[in-house]
Amino acid sequence: MAARAFQRLPSAPAGRILALRLVAIVLSLFIIAGVLALSGHSPVTLADLVLRSTLGSRFGLEDLALFMCPLLLTGAAVTVCGTIGLWNIGAEGQFYAGAIAATGAALGLHGPAIVLLPVMTIAGILGGMAWITVPTLARAYAGVNEIITTLLLNFIASLLTYYLTTGPWRDRISGAQVSTQRLPVAIPEMWGIVHWGFPVAIVIVIGLALVLSRTRWGYEIRIGGANPEAARYAGIPVRLRIISVMLLSGGLAGLAGMFEVAGTVHRLQGGMANNFGYLGIVVAVLARGSCLNVIPAALLMALILDSGIVMQTQQLSASVVLAITGLILFMIAIGDELAHYRPVAGTAPKGKAS
Amino acid sequence: MNKQSAPPGVAPGTPPVLQLRGIGKFFPGVIANKDVDLDVWPGEIHALLGENGAGKSTLMNVVTGIYQPEEGEIILDGYGQAFTAPQEAIRAGIGMVHQHFKLVQAFTVAENIHLGWDEAPRIASPAVMEARTREISERFGFPVRPDARVCDLSAGEQQRVEILRVLARRARLLIMDEPTAVLTPEETGELFRALKAFRAQGNAVIIISHKLDEVMEISDRVSILRGGRKVGTFNTADCNPSMLAATMVGRDIVRRNMRARPEGAAPVAPDPVMQLRHVSVRDDRGVETLRDVSLDLHGGEILGIAGVAGNGQRELTHVLTGLMARTSGEILLDGSLVDRADPALFVQAGVGHIPEDRLRSALAPSLSVTTNMALREYPYPPIGTHGLYDAQAAGVLARDIAELAQVSIPDFAMPIRNLSGGNQQRLVARREIRIASRVLVAAYPARGLDIGAIATMLGYLTDLRDQGVAVVFISEDLEDLLNVSDRIGVMFHGRLMSVIDAEAADMATIGLLMGGRDAAGTQAGATQ
Ligand SMILES: Nc1ncnc2c1ncn2[C@@H]1O[C@H](COP(=O)(O)OP(=O)(O)O)[C@@H](O)[C@H]1O
Ligand SMILES: [Mg+2]
Repeated sequence: MAARAFQRLPSAPAGRILALRLVAIVLSLFIIAGVLALSGHSPVTLADLVLRSTLGSRFGLEDLALFMCPLLLTGAAVTVCGTIGLWNIGAEGQFYAGAIAATGAALGLHGPAIVLLPVMTIAGILGGMAWITVPTLARAYAGVNEIITTLLLNFIASLLTYYLTTGPWRDRISGAQVSTQRLPVAIPEMWGIVHWGFPVAIVIVIGLALVLSRTRWGYEIRIGGANPEAARYAGIPVRLRIISVMLLSGGLAGLAGMFEVAGTVHRLQGGMANNFGYLGIVVAVLARGSCLNVIPAALLMALILDSGIVMQTQQLSASVVLAITGLILFMIAIGDELAHYRPVAGTAPKGKAS
Repeated sequence: MNKQSAPPGVAPGTPPVLQLRGIGKFFPGVIANKDVDLDVWPGEIHALLGENGAGKSTLMNVVTGIYQPEEGEIILDGYGQAFTAPQEAIRAGIGMVHQHFKLVQAFTVAENIHLGWDEAPRIASPAVMEARTREISERFGFPVRPDARVCDLSAGEQQRVEILRVLARRARLLIMDEPTAVLTPEETGELFRALKAFRAQGNAVIIISHKLDEVMEISDRVSILRGGRKVGTFNTADCNPSMLAATMVGRDIVRRNMRARPEGAAPVAPDPVMQLRHVSVRDDRGVETLRDVSLDLHGGEILGIAGVAGNGQRELTHVLTGLMARTSGEILLDGSLVDRADPALFVQAGVGHIPEDRLRSALAPSLSVTTNMALREYPYPPIGTHGLYDAQAAGVLARDIAELAQVSIPDFAMPIRNLSGGNQQRLVARREIRIASRVLVAAYPARGLDIGAIATMLGYLTDLRDQGVAVVFISEDLEDLLNVSDRIGVMFHGRLMSVIDAEAADMATIGLLMGGRDAAGTQAGATQ
């Protein structure tokens, strides 16, 4: 009767998911330590170093916050879109578009920071929205799959950034490669090198969670995502809601680009999106559709990224770091799936129950 | 009832196909099954009867390995069995056709038949699969079109595919969960003929149904569940419908003439609330699905719509609730023209709608009970004020609706799909009645409900009528229609054949009209 010991539940309780994810992370850390030990690295020294340079020191924490900031926004962008049942795979492109628009405003206009920063913020949001406009309209009016359209626009945005940073907007002052000159204004710093974009991003994510759960609009989005036919039945203008959600999603990713360019990097650079847009999808998947969960998910992702950079300084190649990231996410996915299983009372054989 | 002895006709010494001993299955806060014993013998059709939520579907899911029981054992051909997956039950010869079909809509019939079948040829071209499907279909006497896509099939055709899927895998025990709920009378007849042929080969059938007449017609024995426990097993020959109904509900059912108004009830309003004038609808393929329908709805009156399903009832419902645009004709609400099909407009005007397929169109199955109960009232206070959504007020509303609908809900935050189909139906009905201040359009509101719940549902409709609401009641059950309707319209091929006075209507006339024959003396499209 061994096979009868477990039963699959249709939906897993949040507590079990959390517990199993922690187990998954700890297990992957052990695996990583084992592999590192076999390849001649000392896991203890490495762990000590990683901890000191992330959670264990002020500089580490500052770096973490800077990684988290764009991940919070791109993660929220993908999550919001997912609420109405759509996948925005284009946060990367919208991130670039926001960064480009903000840079354009900063380089083209002149004025004090107090005027220029709000203008750049609006430009960044509009840039992201503009980048998702075509996929949005195609989805709403022609039913074109948004996954393909948003994804393809990423490459265009990325190449456009290379073109601008090596062409018309290239740095003519200090001659930096694939980069514009330093922007005349920057988002003020609030704690070390952490700029005000970080708390703003946190507030935005919390605000979004409230909007989705506490407003009519949020309610309509949730219904539309869960069953479009029921939404139509209830008189919800589904098409308009799709348009508003997708534009919001693009705007959030665009804002991430603006924060990055005006707060962290201070220049528009080719390749500067650093996969933050794609990692936003990972963050959203980890957050399982809840905006509030985006915060811990972004923190985890930032920790992985940050640890990876530390390890690269220890002669571990970038692909090893990528493999480690993959392993952790893979184990978490297994944990999530296992959370659906529950031992059947009384019949669980000895030694097999988890 | 001696459990061990085989019923007449079974050779002595033959073990039952299926024996259940003390089956118990629990969900959080619900005892779905407890102490259930059941024997099913080869060569019998065994009906499983019970009110909504009695635990019939759950019990069958236990038998087919979808759920694992917490208590008790399953014995097949005399040997104890524990299924951990539906595939194991199928391998053991138990096949189930579910209440909600489990076919892949985008696949063809042949592909669905071969899906997940270990005997499917390794390299299967569509032609090979279609040929095999044709062969299987002929062998078992269920005609299907192997190359048709499932999404293009009617409910009856889809069911045939489901049954073939099961039979092709050599099922000896076929379990059918409310198979006739979605069928037209002719399709039901065909199904029953096929089931009898299946029985004649020494196989067994368990059929879940609410329709007592059908149980009497098709089954050899009946087992009745109430509150998750088995009340008893009877030879159908010793039963009659009213005794079955009483055992099932545990109390006696009184049928009242529901057309009579109590004192103080609102009279029939002289001016119509809603009018259709020569309304026609064409579908995407240009086929006219609703033809030149004219009709007046008066407050304080129930208009019954009879007809075999699929003759334009769906389109009529959708036009009456703003879900579908008309291609020609006029719709008037309170005497003024409605220029666009917008469901929100109809909700605001006080038009409630209990749709035919509640799970697909009236509920968001993955969202909570509370969220679903707010679907009609979220834009208005107390839930919606200043563009906000007050989750607490929604919770209060959900509790109110559940109490009125007499559905006990352990947890309002759980997904509504966890509730049984009948309970979902009651909740939707109550939700819609709350907002139906002028008109209620109820499409098959009694479908899938047990006798007790049907009586309650019809009571809801007459209560609304007495409050002065115009009720459109679409049903296949002529008895229900004649019980409550003031006027009855009959639909055939998209046309409203005739609207007749229920008082004067007789089954024969309606039967003729349902078959498309215009009975003499009735006025086509009459609007009184
Ligand atoms: N997956 C589930 N989770 C929680 N409760 C359930 C689940 N499935 C069924 N139930 C509950 O178990 C009881 C029996 O349901 P069901 O077997 O569907 O009844 P029936 O088919 O006789 O109408 C009901 O109270 C129902 O709400
Ligand atoms: Mg059921």
